[in-house]
Amino acid sequence: MNGDAQQDFALAFLSILFEGAPFILLGTLISGFIDIYLPKGAMDRFLPKNNTLAVMTAGLLGAIFPVCECAVVPVIRRLVGKGLPMSCALTYMLAAPIVNPITALSTWKAFQGQAPWMMTGGRMLLGYLVAVGVGLVVARISLRKVLKQSLLEKIESAADKENEECGGCCGHDHSHDHDHGHSHEHHDHGKNDDDGRLIAAMRSAQKDFVDVGVYFTIGVAITALFNTGIAPGAMWLDGLAGNPVAAPAALMALAFILSLCSTSDAFIAATLAKFTWGAKLAFLVFGPMLDVKLIFLYQTVLKRKFIVALGVSLFVVIWLASMAAQAWLIEM
Amino acid sequence: MKPELRRILFSLAVILWAACLLYFYGSGRIVKYLAPDFRPIALAGGLGLAVMGLFNLLTAFRQADCGHDHGGEEHDHEGGDMNPWSALALMTLPVALSMAWTKDGFSAATLARKGLYDEAPSASAPFFASVLPPLTMEEIESSHRRTTDGYLEFSLMELFFATGDRELQGLLGGLEVETEGRIVEEKVRNESGTRMRLYRMFMTCCVADSRAIPIVLEFGSEPPMLPENGWVKVAGTMTFPEEGGTLQAVLNVDRATAAEVPPEEKFLLR
Repeated sequence: MNGDAQQDFALAFLSILFEGAPFILLGTLISGFIDIYLPKGAMDRFLPKNNTLAVMTAGLLGAIFPVCECAVVPVIRRLVGKGLPMSCALTYMLAAPIVNPITALSTWKAFQGQAPWMMTGGRMLLGYLVAVGVGLVVARISLRKVLKQSLLEKIESAADKENEECGGCCGHDHSHDHDHGHSHEHHDHGKNDDDGRLIAAMRSAQKDFVDVGVYFTIGVAITALFNTGIAPGAMWLDGLAGNPVAAPAALMALAFILSLCSTSDAFIAATLAKFTWGAKLAFLVFGPMLDVKLIFLYQTVLKRKFIVALGVSLFVVIWLASMAAQAWLIEM
Repeated sequence: MKPELRRILFSLAVILWAACLLYFYGSGRIVKYLAPDFRPIALAGGLGLAVMGLFNLLTAFRQADCGHDHGGEEHDHEGGDMNPWSALALMTLPVALSMAWTKDGFSAATLARKGLYDEAPSASAPFFASVLPPLTMEEIESSHRRTTDGYLEFSLMELFFATGDRELQGLLGGLEVETEGRIVEEKVRNESGTRMRLYRMFMTCCVADSRAIPIVLEFGSEPPMLPENGWVKVAGTMTFPEEGGTLQAVLNVDRATAAEVPPEEKFLLR
């Protein structure tokens, strides 16, 4: 890189890092404390027993626990380790950055004068439906095809241990009723135990932060390289703006490259005046579910093959849905 | 690797990120990187990282019971996916290099890529139109200060987005205004060499998503010698001629003087 390129890269890199790092910290602090303090299986108690209802409920949890896409990955990583069904975790991971009050507010604010309620409502609805759809499909897939090997081994090891401890004790399923030997509620943790658990939680949070931080750094570096060399892409995009089929795909590609935070991407979408409502909807739904930095973050949880399949599926489904939404809007 | 060494390496990586965030915030340079809403979040993030990194560094050698029954097996509350030395290098080297390379601004080439020489917005930018002042001359005059020599002070953003608002064009066209920004060479429709370009960067969240907000300066003769990309205050008469098939915001300049760099990149001044 020459001097100008170094200067441009550094500015874009640091600015995205400064923007995202606090949210990753928030997510990893939550994940660290979940790791140490949340009894295994506790999340199950918040979800209906029925798989379909559980997935549908998980898609709405972002309204209660609003996190952006950077922060949600370490959180679900821990929740899966704690026994949250993968289908629910994935639904929450995809929906929470979109179906949350902060994103709703920023979308509504950004689209003032451009049918803000329709864009905000459309974004929430499509984001929710796509996430629930993915969750329902994943519920029928073997965990081996979805989860990263190290995380899978951890879950299987915990399950084996659980079976050894519970096996034959009374012959029925305790998964929703007790905490599998952790005994958090039944013995006295004195002050030293509390200190120990705080230290353990902070260590766990830091470990998660470093795990996610490494991938985030790589993703931000790639994003910064694209971001500072975006001119040819912008000209190419402008040429596609009037094409009802190519425009949503083009804006989804842009969202993938720009890797914007879901709490702020609406302000960029609102300025894309040449593009249709449907194309902007595709940009706002696809971006928080898959972009360059998320590809790296997802690798802390998911298998690479599954990430590719997920990415292609999301692209096709959101592309078709946004074109259908645009056609419906024209008919109205 | 011993857990204690791994904790120390991870703590150092976290502390470096904290130091970077806190340095940029404390030095005021953060204003070049993040929009105002995100700066307190960056400060909180820097403080939080510092607390986490220092806490873990200072307790690196302490035994800590997580409270779970692991049945005597080694557990992985701290086991990572990556070699800790590699993780430290990947987290710190790009940050350190970027801190060394950054000049808190984009090069001229990237400014051009971020819209410095793009056409002005068409009349379909309702989001920006919605944040502009009300559209009567009385209200415009009451909401903008007047300089001692009679020019109304406008932000560059108001003048730029007026090309997308016909009603505002009607009010601003022919009005004597003063504004400020950075001055650069005009590369578009400047055969006579009498034009320069005035711009500021507008960011919604961080500078990576920023766009240049430019207007054209018409001097009528050879422009005065002003530092390239330096801050200037210019005063003159605002016009919105159609050039190359689109409306342009052109200020016919009466005076142009070098100005202090504003303490903040505030684009919506009023």
